[in-house]
Amino acid sequence: MSSVLAVNGITKFYGRIRALNNVSFEVPQGSVFGILGPNGSGKTTLLSIILDVLKANNGSFLWFGHPGSPEQRKKIGSLLETPNFYHYLSAIDNLKVTQSISGRGGKEDINEVLKKVKLYERRKSRFKTYSLGMKQRLAIAASLLGDPKVLVLDEPTNGLDPVGIAEIRELIVELKNSGHTIIMASHLLDEVEKVCTHVAILKTGDVITTGDVNEVLQDEDVVEVSAADLNALARILQQFNSNVSINNVSNTVQLLLPKGTAKLDEINSTCFEKGIVLNHLLLKKKRLEARFFELTNN
Amino acid sequence: MTNLIKTEWLKLKKYWAFWWMTGIVALAYPAMNYLIYANGYKDQLDDPKVGPILRMLPNPFTFPDVWQTVAFISSCFIFLPAIVVIMFITNEYTYKTHRQNIIDGWSRKGFMTSKMIDVAIISLLVTIVYFITASIIGTANATSTSGKFWEGTQYIGLFFLQTFSQLSLALLIALLVRKAFLALGIFLFYFFPLEVILEGLGRKHSISMREFLPLEISDRLIPYPRWFVRDQKEWDALIAQSHMHILYTILLLAVTWGICFWINAKRDL
Repeated sequence: MSSVLAVNGITKFYGRIRALNNVSFEVPQGSVFGILGPNGSGKTTLLSIILDVLKANNGSFLWFGHPGSPEQRKKIGSLLETPNFYHYLSAIDNLKVTQSISGRGGKEDINEVLKKVKLYERRKSRFKTYSLGMKQRLAIAASLLGDPKVLVLDEPTNGLDPVGIAEIRELIVELKNSGHTIIMASHLLDEVEKVCTHVAILKTGDVITTGDVNEVLQDEDVVEVSAADLNALARILQQFNSNVSINNVSNTVQLLLPKGTAKLDEINSTCFEKGIVLNHLLLKKKRLEARFFELTNN
Repeated sequence: MTNLIKTEWLKLKKYWAFWWMTGIVALAYPAMNYLIYANGYKDQLDDPKVGPILRMLPNPFTFPDVWQTVAFISSCFIFLPAIVVIMFITNEYTYKTHRQNIIDGWSRKGFMTSKMIDVAIISLLVTIVYFITASIIGTANATSTSGKFWEGTQYIGLFFLQTFSQLSLALLIALLVRKAFLALGIFLFYFFPLEVILEGLGRKHSISMREFLPLEISDRLIPYPRWFVRDQKEWDALIAQSHMHILYTILLLAVTWGICFWINAKRDL
């Protein structure tokens, strides 16, 4: 899979404060790439650098294998940090400015994207009269203008109500399914877990881990098993690994195994041979939240 | 270039402060010129001491001198369009739209060029107001001894150059400071009284370098109206000096915009 964006050793200082330290990763084509990290971890700084708003002190990045340029940015729909629009212009007039600069989309596309983000009814109102959620919707509409194949979204659900959050999540999944590549920064783990295929986790400017979301989340296999006699089941499972625990609340036994070694059919047949009939057998992913806390030591 | 002009027009055409200020300029320029004509010149014609001397000089409010007279008076009010320039550029920083323009696909050079276009458009509008004002006043005062309409129209170009130069300085201050009220305060304080005081001190102590004060460089493109300077030698020297100031103003413009482009290229947005 070719990479849409390759970040190579980017370092950024604000005075004496190091915001990013030798950050490197690649964003595969067609992926939803989540950049995760607590507040102040460098997510927005990183996105600002790849969009030429900030200058890196060191390192480089390539869009589609080429150094960043205005022509490439025109092909990328971006929402960086806050919705930035002319406060005295309406949604339509602001999108005309976006269209004029980027060259993305035609006249009809403006109405289409405004309908998509449910802002069509207020299309003629001035930007300064919008609520925070409406401003965010307009920023998303601007990024969708002309249906760019790559989107950079910095905290896209900021300021949105729960319905708005769900709608944007659906939109991201829809875009992913139609072959778009989305690079998304967020500190909302639930949001990332639900839509991302790949992640990079940042902590105080360092990339702690990056890769396929399943690989990052699953540092070990967690097998959840249940049967009528939990104690007998636990004893049998100990032959696979000594790390076995009984959860009396969910009436299950948890077996922890090194990553990629769990063989569910083998566990099932072993239990059956020893006279235990399983009524539940599941290989679980660790929740991103738990993994995130582990990695960032929070 | 066409794209930059089109985009800036999209931003400007619904910016009401811009149209308000254009309206104020359109009213203020003719009003101030008429006021000075009625109270500063016409009244003096009846003065027993000054009147006879003034009558010996060509009427500064008809062709060809009207182009220079109106340009000189109007140039004292360049701070009005400067307010629009400062508001327009600082708005880009306040609302971070300068960042969005880059994100959407403009180069930093393109963004700065667009600001240069804004300053040129505003300078052009101000020059059009000046042209209409001078045309009406000149025509209204025309007599059989007046010059032709197009005589002395080199001042149209010089007025545009002066306006463009001084508005460019306003933009530079806005770009450096980025805060609307601070930039307005600095520019207006420098426009009046600081440079006036510095120029006055320079004159008092015969410091020739005072002609290179940032606003004075282009102020000298349009010398005082002839009836201000009754000594022919002094008048001739002023006119001769103004020719050199075309070059100085162009150099100042190059430096001003050079700094603007350099700052915008280097700093984080």
